[in-house]
Amino acid sequence: MVENRPFLTFLTHAVLIIGVLFLCFPVWMALVASTHGPEALSSSPIPLWFGDRAWENYSQLLVGGLPEAGGVPIGSMMFNSLIMALVITFGKIAISIISAYAIVYFQFPFRMGFFWMIFITLMLPVEVRILPTFDVVVKMGMLNTYAGLTVPLIASATATFLFRQFFLTIPDELVEAARIDRAGPLRFFWDILLPLSRTNIAALFIILFIYGWNQYLWPLLITTDESLYTVVMGIQRMVNSGESLPVWHYIMGTAVLAMIPPVIVVVAMQKLFVKGLVESEK
Amino acid sequence: MATLSIKSLGKVYPGGVTAVSDVNVDIADGEFIVLVGPSGCGKSTILRMIAGLEGITSGDLQIDDRRVNDLEPGERDIAMVFQNYALYPHMSVRGNMEYGLKNEGLPKAQIAERIAEAARTLRLEEFLDRKPANLSGGQRQRVAMGRAIVRDPKVFLFDEPLSNLDAKLRTQLRAELKALHKRLGATFVYVTHDQVEAMSLADRIIIMSNGKVEQIGTPMDLYLRPASRFVADFIGSPSMNVLDGTVSSDRRSLQLNGSHQIDFGTELPTAAGNQIAIGIRPEHLHQNTAGETRIELSVGFIEQLGADTVVHGTIAGSQSPLAVRLNGVQARDSGDSIALSCGRDQIHLFDGTTGQRLNWDNQ
Repeated sequence: MVENRPFLTFLTHAVLIIGVLFLCFPVWMALVASTHGPEALSSSPIPLWFGDRAWENYSQLLVGGLPEAGGVPIGSMMFNSLIMALVITFGKIAISIISAYAIVYFQFPFRMGFFWMIFITLMLPVEVRILPTFDVVVKMGMLNTYAGLTVPLIASATATFLFRQFFLTIPDELVEAARIDRAGPLRFFWDILLPLSRTNIAALFIILFIYGWNQYLWPLLITTDESLYTVVMGIQRMVNSGESLPVWHYIMGTAVLAMIPPVIVVVAMQKLFVKGLVESEK
Repeated sequence: MATLSIKSLGKVYPGGVTAVSDVNVDIADGEFIVLVGPSGCGKSTILRMIAGLEGITSGDLQIDDRRVNDLEPGERDIAMVFQNYALYPHMSVRGNMEYGLKNEGLPKAQIAERIAEAARTLRLEEFLDRKPANLSGGQRQRVAMGRAIVRDPKVFLFDEPLSNLDAKLRTQLRAELKALHKRLGATFVYVTHDQVEAMSLADRIIIMSNGKVEQIGTPMDLYLRPASRFVADFIGSPSMNVLDGTVSSDRRSLQLNGSHQIDFGTELPTAAGNQIAIGIRPEHLHQNTAGETRIELSVGFIEQLGADTVVHGTIAGSQSPLAVRLNGVQARDSGDSIALSCGRDQIHLFDGTTGQRLNWDNQ
């Protein structure tokens, strides 16, 4: 496989560069479009370089509030999205690491039964159980609350399974050494298991944050109050703004803004992730 | 510092597998005890029962006259060193050593003092702030020992601590362990499958097979008076020649399985016609005819070890394998024949069916 011929080097690089351009072009277009006025994008040719309305557009988006998006500023939608993504991420990690700890390290009746019950829920994504879940949320009076937005999405079989698999690779001797060192179950969890899971937690954080951030269907069902709208919903509402022409410069601006937090999370966590990979031994 | 008393200790796993049965031993304060045996013989199970990592099915375990059967490992005042070190990978060397002490709630100054002393003893001072991943195998094992030392336990437990190290390091750490035991004067219980380790370290050896104790004694007891054929075979390298045969009608010679006969010149302590086995260590066969018992060896192949030469072959005129250790460098060709003899006092007799030692007045 590893050949060293100039032509192949050229070819592979050409393919890679084309791929990168192909992937980045839409992002570039969004960035450019968000700096023009509304007419620029409806006329031909579409501009490929920045316009002069960046400041105007973005300040209007962040604090002004748009009638097309229900009059709510994007800033407050971003805040809602952030709350939702963070609560889901932390909740999922906390609950799944604790349940995996119970399943791997404690002997109790029907242990495997519980594990399989959790595991089977993997087969039921949100979309499948959305009606019964919605019903439960309604009956608990959690419509139009942050709790309603986040709690039903917190349980995670995938993360539980991932932590379980990781815990199973930790040598038994480590547990035994900790027992001899007088570490009780809570101490062992806090002092040894949690630090060792650091890289797994970082990886999960990336995946779950993006999962939470990108939620669309669930917030659409749960929120009718505009002050609880998330940014993904905001974009969708602007695109379908009835009879009037879509405000593409605002839509693109919102898309660019909505991209920022996941990018920050990926960049920040990747450092930890790589550090963990480099530090790990065995 | 403590005595350790094990009374009819037994372990049956759920599912009915008996790992250990009826082990009795009293370990004196400051004694270095080595549990040795082939893998699966139950030696590690005993150690883990002493540590409290494995439940005790039957019998009593006492440390300093206090019954500890039902105490948690952390409450037994023991420390354990594991084969794969079991260091906490995310903690520094210092963190590893102080973790147990912190959990005990010792004052900080005292912890620092103990760690400094242990680090000096084990020459770990310059590594205190490193992570285990950045240490070599020998250093990691020293850290594991340090983690045990700082706890100042009543009993030190070692579970094959040198098995993951290369041969040279193993010899070096063995000497360090011995010195450490001398300096601390503490009670050590050490598990290994390596009989050389057992012989060189132990005050007393407990040799086990199939969950049962075969013999308890000093290394020289085991070497000179093995209680059973198993012990005879296990202790010593190359292992003892054990030959099966039938006692002749005048009880003065042994008819080997085959046609060969070995004369003893004295009566054997068993009835004529009985099946017995004789054991002769390779180093007790000499290249002369001075001993009472003479054997001729037909050379198969030789191992040159430098200081001495191990010749493997068969007893001339039979199929019984025999090995002999000769001094110095000796060249022999396959098919050569060597006349050997052995003093009667260096022949061990074992019952043909039970494998138990038969004593006779040969010494």
